[in-house]
Amino acid sequence: MEDRKKLARIANRIREGLMQLKYGRYLELNRQLANITGQLQRLTTESRKMEASVTRRWLSAAQRCCKNVDNLLGEVGYSLPRIRPLTEKPQKEIPKLPLLIDELNGLHEEFGDIEFDASKNIISVITEPITLEDIYLGPFKIQLELNKLDQLYNSSPYFVVAIEPNPASTDQEVTHPHVSGEKLCEGDGSAAIKAALEEGRISDFFTIVRSILNTYSPDSPYVALHDWDGATCYDCGYTMNSEDTYYCEYCERDYCSECSTYCRHCEETICLGHSGQCSYCEEMLCRNCVSECEECGKMFCQSCLEEDLCPNCREEKENENEQQEAEINECENTSQPQTETTEVELAS
Amino acid sequence: MRILYVNNDGGGFADYVDVTPAMTVETFFIEKMPNRKPDDFLIRVNRQPVARDYVLQENDRITITPTKIEGALV
Repeated sequence: MEDRKKLARIANRIREGLMQLKYGRYLELNRQLANITGQLQRLTTESRKMEASVTRRWLSAAQRCCKNVDNLLGEVGYSLPRIRPLTEKPQKEIPKLPLLIDELNGLHEEFGDIEFDASKNIISVITEPITLEDIYLGPFKIQLELNKLDQLYNSSPYFVVAIEPNPASTDQEVTHPHVSGEKLCEGDGSAAIKAALEEGRISDFFTIVRSILNTYSPDSPYVALHDWDGATCYDCGYTMNSEDTYYCEYCERDYCSECSTYCRHCEETICLGHSGQCSYCEEMLCRNCVSECEECGKMFCQSCLEEDLCPNCREEKENENEQQEAEINECENTSQPQTETTEVELAS
Repeated sequence: MRILYVNNDGGGFADYVDVTPAMTVETFFIEKMPNRKPDDFLIRVNRQPVARDYVLQENDRITITPTKIEGALV
């Protein structure tokens, strides 16, 4: 990369890319202007309709206009912040070749080797290995596609490729908490990245991307670092992905599908330790949905209990009652002393 | 005395600023980035690392880039 001719060739390609970017910004402004002009024209039409409705005292028509105007104002409100950044800052002059060569030298100072793929017009540098919160993510290659610089306002003209990928166990596309599918979620660095590229500060662009890669923001990562290796089943220790994780509210822990079930009564997810089986119908239930039979003390679902008795105890009691009734009837038909004896027996 | 100041913090900008003669990099940083720690930034003068007592010269280019930038969605 020390070859000045080679640097000049790359700098020239960067200059061409920056010219495309300058044109791309006007193109995007034009697109946004057409959008907002259409919205304003529809607003003008609604304004005329509103005037006519008010003049003729057509209150229903006025109400409809009011609703349409409200929707349109919402659209204009959404469009304005997108168009302002394209107009408020004047476009700076594209840096001359010597300045771009200085940028490349600066880049070389910061990152060491610079790769340039002339056929695809891609400049790449490799970061040092990155470790965030004790999780090794390895070095990353930052690839700036000069042909895509004009797409800066619609999509990303660069990619972040993991050299020694250690992706999240739950999503192989996520090689860094803020990188998915080789696209960086720029967050707070978004404006600085745009400014650096617009002004041809190539070295700054790569440095800013590196600073983002060196930072973990726990607020909205693609995959949080504490879940990087997947959640572990509290019971069997199996590593689960997010779709195969079941939370037990009783013990407030995560379980795999093998170590969890759900209550057939309230449908709450529970771990096996906090689940129970109805001793009669054998359905799995949570602790809230089982009750004790007051006779035998075993656990049953609410459908199987009647007057706090399980079907078996209920049947037993019914048999006893029937037997007692039969005995009473029998006694009524026999002699008095026998009856007295029976009464004594019953009382005891 | 005029220098080019490139600030990659926040929105990011590059602009010429006037500084008093014999101003050091450290004084410049304190003036431009009050309540911020120099250790949290990559400070380069003319694309090279410099000592904090480096005295800024006419037409120097000073770049201040945070070493940590949160990549979460804004």
